[in-house]
Amino acid sequence: MSAQSTNQILKGIRIIAFTNAYAGPYAGRLLAQHGAEVIKVESATGGLDTFRHFGKDLDSSARFIECNLGVRSLTVNLKHPAGVEIIKKLTSCSDAVLENFRPGVLTRLGLGEEELRQVNPGIIILRLPGLGEKGPKSWYGTWGFNLTAYSGMTYLWNHPDQPRPIGSQGVYPDHLSFIMAPTLLVAALLRRRVTQKGVTIDLAQAEAAAYALGVSYLEMSVNGKDPEPRGNHHPTAFPHGCYRCQGDDRWCVLSITTDEEWQKFCRIVGREDLSASPKFAGQEARSKHVSELDQIVEEWTQERSPEEVMKKLQEEGIAAGVVENGADLMEDPQLRHRNYFEHFPVSSFGPMEVPRSALRFGGMSDDPLALPSKLGQDTEAILKDLLGYDEETIQEWKKEGVLD
Amino acid sequence: MARSLLSGYRVLDISSAKGAFCGKFLCDLGMEVIKVEPPGGDDLRREPPFAQGRSDGETSLSFAYLNAGKRGITLDLTCPAGRNLFLDLLQRVDVVLESSGPDYLEKLNLGYSVLTERQPKLILVSLSGFGQSGPYSHFKSPDIVTTAMSGLLYVSGDPELPPCMPPETQSYYYASLYAAYGVMLALWRREEQGKGVHIDTSIQASLAIHEHVAFTYSAEGKLVKRAGSQHQHVAPANLFRCQDGYIALFATHRHWPILLEIWEDHPPELDDPRWKTDTERRAHADWLNPLLESFTSRYKKEELAHLLQKRGVPGLPVNTPSDFQKDPHIQAREFFTSVTHPEIGEYQQPGVPFTVDGERPKPAAPAPTLGQHNEEVFGQELDLDQQALDHLASEGVI
Repeated sequence: MSAQSTNQILKGIRIIAFTNAYAGPYAGRLLAQHGAEVIKVESATGGLDTFRHFGKDLDSSARFIECNLGVRSLTVNLKHPAGVEIIKKLTSCSDAVLENFRPGVLTRLGLGEEELRQVNPGIIILRLPGLGEKGPKSWYGTWGFNLTAYSGMTYLWNHPDQPRPIGSQGVYPDHLSFIMAPTLLVAALLRRRVTQKGVTIDLAQAEAAAYALGVSYLEMSVNGKDPEPRGNHHPTAFPHGCYRCQGDDRWCVLSITTDEEWQKFCRIVGREDLSASPKFAGQEARSKHVSELDQIVEEWTQERSPEEVMKKLQEEGIAAGVVENGADLMEDPQLRHRNYFEHFPVSSFGPMEVPRSALRFGGMSDDPLALPSKLGQDTEAILKDLLGYDEETIQEWKKEGVLD
Repeated sequence: MARSLLSGYRVLDISSAKGAFCGKFLCDLGMEVIKVEPPGGDDLRREPPFAQGRSDGETSLSFAYLNAGKRGITLDLTCPAGRNLFLDLLQRVDVVLESSGPDYLEKLNLGYSVLTERQPKLILVSLSGFGQSGPYSHFKSPDIVTTAMSGLLYVSGDPELPPCMPPETQSYYYASLYAAYGVMLALWRREEQGKGVHIDTSIQASLAIHEHVAFTYSAEGKLVKRAGSQHQHVAPANLFRCQDGYIALFATHRHWPILLEIWEDHPPELDDPRWKTDTERRAHADWLNPLLESFTSRYKKEELAHLLQKRGVPGLPVNTPSDFQKDPHIQAREFFTSVTHPEIGEYQQPGVPFTVDGERPKPAAPAPTLGQHNEEVFGQELDLDQQALDHLASEGVI
């Protein structure tokens, strides 16, 4: 296979990653997935990635492996002056630095924007601070979970008229940030082709979350009051929602927008008696009888599997789907058709399958994903082959604890 | 200068709701995005919420937000004259963004191979519910269907209630951001190798990476379930009542002893060393959470967040949109930006969520009114004079 026909588009780009937990590492993984050489810097003394602690040993955390596929590992103690020197030398032959430490941490270590740019004016710096690098609360500790709350998303992520906010256990702001980050980084690379200069980009994760709630913010601004949580309701589709199906915790969704779809639906569910009812004739009328509609729908769905509901309705051109759980996703024929899962028969965790990418590039092969390097696996090779340090120096540093 | 992170690139955005956020993000990266609508207007113009309750095609807030900063032209791609104008415009663009579903462009004889005859280095980005081929590719795929079929819906909401959709159209937004990454990769390849490409983006696949739903089952054989805001592995990590709302509080083994110090009169049994481990606390979260709420409910949410943060415990208030917008931190960062729209009037919208060399790129303009830039684009790019434009308009082509 010729080099041009694979998806390794970023081959030749070298990125230093000071990344921890989810958003930063996954951003690095997405770049590595397309051929960038991503060198993750950690230190047993200075700090290891939090996700390493979720396994039986530091290399066997499934969560860590998922978020760091294809990433190389360099262990350097940044609190030692020689450690800082090593990173500066590495910066001089790299294209970008990706980091999601708390604001100010790298600067305090002597590896701030100015120091890095002094070594390499073309270096691109991409930071992912929770609340931004500046501002009265920039020092606050944030996790995806509390950023969801802070951004307004938890409040809006609820069924109507609930006594308490509910939200999600998930860390959606991390997801938004880790998909925006590689885009920003490649955008900066494209810009550098023209200007020959590096830039520093700060993506504030809380703002990324609010950016994905812009319509609600506009509504608030224009109407002068907060929008209410909408749950599974839709302003122009009736019925529209999530309905109980046969089985334990099995659900389907469906959405009906036109009269034609409603008529078809009545026929499919054997309720021709409703077809002529003025109560449900036209969108306007249906919008006034939402709870009754929901009841009618659920009477039918609860006797069926979500797969049957989806098949029967989609065959007739009505939007419906299975509320898929983890097991469903692994068997989903559409995802399988897209060759969505990378199968690792062997890893330090054990056999597993990992989601790859939402993108298919026409005429290009999807190169297989690689497992992350073991902790410190690439340290010697990077110091010797890439940075040109001799064996003696490396041994000396090992003794002094520079390379822990 | 900050505004021009990617100046010099041009996008024709012929997508509707599914891809609008992609065009918006590319616009905020500094690309020039021209929104192409059918003469009757994009469907999104008819989507609520509306300003002042008016649904006249210019007051949809969904349309206003997702198309801010784009220029707008009208063009009927289904008629020969419209199709030809579109092909003429291609010579001046780098990227075409579409979300019309598999085969639609082929049926109009505007498939990728036809487009590249006019613009050999063209990048075509397709966004669709399930991708351009496969057993579900022709399924109807509104936001609720793709959210359900990606696993995100199953893990969202209260376990006592049906699964709950996230606000707005997150599956469209997320796939749009993913597609934008595809555009960057394709541009990079084009600069290096001089080639265009057709990118097939699946909305389902974009969200299916989320929350380790698939992966946890594959790796550990476990089904991730709905748990409200209760974190899977950590407790207390949930929403707790305060005097004036709720706080999202997250305390691992590192934060737990500090939390007990701040909570001076905590029940003595919490000093038992068994509660030092994350797994023990998580296993008894149902017992622990109400106890902690007796402490949090003595405070206002902002006050408690500050008190906890000062000691290194990551608490943040559960904000409504107006709480967030008024937050002094967000105000100091000048995140929100004021926009004046000819029909909607003046309003505040979230700005660009990143800074370039410390400067926040500002969105240039409100969303276009229907056909606002027809003269500018067709006139300047294709040298059409007023007479020709009038003729096209009267024929319903533009």
